[in-house]
Amino acid sequence: MANGTWKIARGKGGAQLPLAIVAVLAIALVVLGKAQSSLFDRAHTYYSDSIAPLLKSAGQPLDGVGKWMSGLGGLLDVYQENQRLKEENARLRQWQSAALVLESRVKRYQLLLNAVPDPSLDAISARVIGRNNRPFLDTLILDAGKSRGVKPGEAVVDARGMVGRVFLAGDHTSWIILLTDLNSRIPVVIEPGNIPAIMAGDNSDDPALEPMSPGAPIKEGGQVVTSGDGGLLPNGLPVGAVVWDGSAFRVSLLADAAAADDVRIVDLKAPPEQPPVVTPNDLPAAAAGLPPLVTTHVLPGNGASAAQTPAALAPMQKGAAAAPRKTAPLVLPSGNATLPTTTNTDDHPDQ
Amino acid sequence: MNERLGTSISGTFAAAVPFVCGLLGVIVTNIPVSVLRGTVPPPLFSLMAIYFWCLVRPDLMPPAAAFALGVLEDFLSGGPPGVWALSFVITYALIDRERDAFAGLSGFAALLGFAASMLVASMSAWLIASFVYGRFPPLVPLSIEFAVSVVVYIPMAMLFGLIHRHLVGPLRSEF
Repeated sequence: MANGTWKIARGKGGAQLPLAIVAVLAIALVVLGKAQSSLFDRAHTYYSDSIAPLLKSAGQPLDGVGKWMSGLGGLLDVYQENQRLKEENARLRQWQSAALVLESRVKRYQLLLNAVPDPSLDAISARVIGRNNRPFLDTLILDAGKSRGVKPGEAVVDARGMVGRVFLAGDHTSWIILLTDLNSRIPVVIEPGNIPAIMAGDNSDDPALEPMSPGAPIKEGGQVVTSGDGGLLPNGLPVGAVVWDGSAFRVSLLADAAAADDVRIVDLKAPPEQPPVVTPNDLPAAAAGLPPLVTTHVLPGNGASAAQTPAALAPMQKGAAAAPRKTAPLVLPSGNATLPTTTNTDDHPDQ
Repeated sequence: MNERLGTSISGTFAAAVPFVCGLLGVIVTNIPVSVLRGTVPPPLFSLMAIYFWCLVRPDLMPPAAAFALGVLEDFLSGGPPGVWALSFVITYALIDRERDAFAGLSGFAALLGFAASMLVASMSAWLIASFVYGRFPPLVPLSIEFAVSVVVYIPMAMLFGLIHRHLVGPLRSEF
């Protein structure tokens, strides 16, 4: 130990950079990193791709030791645990049959209502080969990358619920930012009530819940699922339950990242639903089976007017998606005079 | 001639030992495999090497070495660039300034000396991360890392002492 048993060197290396210059370099690196946070991203993925085989071989025995150590306490009450699991299994079987009945009923209702089906989901199974728990970053490394179709932003789930999302994808590995991480913010809804909120990680076990509308009636025990806003994450992925920590609402996560060994990377196949293209037939009058509308333009000064049908107006519009400014004649009670009025049914994209 | 060459090679090797220890410390800290399955942050081994050799052989652990170890720590940890680099440089400046006070400590007091350095490193990293993220990160993970690092410093200081005696040694002018 540095206790003075050996002499303390006083000499300074002649070639060393002065402390001030190094400090300036470090500050510059911080500023550069803030301006461009993806400074090391490519290097990170290259690094994890390189060490992936080593992690796979070294991780298994260590994981085994970890599991063995964590299971030591459970040896003493293994009989009670077994009984409890049997009872739980019986209850879950009942719930499973109820869920199957409800699922088929929902499908039938959807068919009757001609409802838009849920977007199709595809999933890639992957194994956790690394865990990085640092004070400012909480990540997992998976053994699946771009070569298997993994893309940044995709949700990662385990058997119980959402674990995190992909933030870096290398060729053969991907880095997962956990829901508990400081940088994690995902849109969720709280059931019942369909209350939209943002779940923000802060490196604690239970991420914070920030409702979109202040004063929303959030109750402890409410279920938190992904909302699917933004079109990147699928909606309805189970996340956790609302808990109150004495000062704010938080989310007790269903998934346990520390115990997760095998996970699924969920790929949302369907793109976000686009609004349908507006056609002249969609105009209220045409849709009601009435004759085409007559537009009367009153020219200033001479009182002359010009009549145009919506079809004649169409070439003036830029693009099919542009909503037409529908002009509907206002018929006065006498039935003779017609005054032109313009109804703006939608915001024009050019405005 | 051969004897002089051999002395030169061994001298170069000895000079590289402190930095290599720091380098190994960064790598070990950031190996993404843990017996505790990532529930506890790993100790900051690289700062232990910086602290130890900044006290006993500052010529072999210059500020540039501390900066380089910090940059590597930032890179391997996957955190925001520059946080640990600047934090290590700040801590180095403190140790360099108070070297006489720190080096005179022995036993439990020496452990307190490292704890003070670790506290400075943690707090400066926290402040820099707050600047980068635009909000204050929680202190709990940093506190755990601080505690784990201080506890682990005890065997590590013994190990560094052995390495120093057998491989590095004092400055030639001090024989």
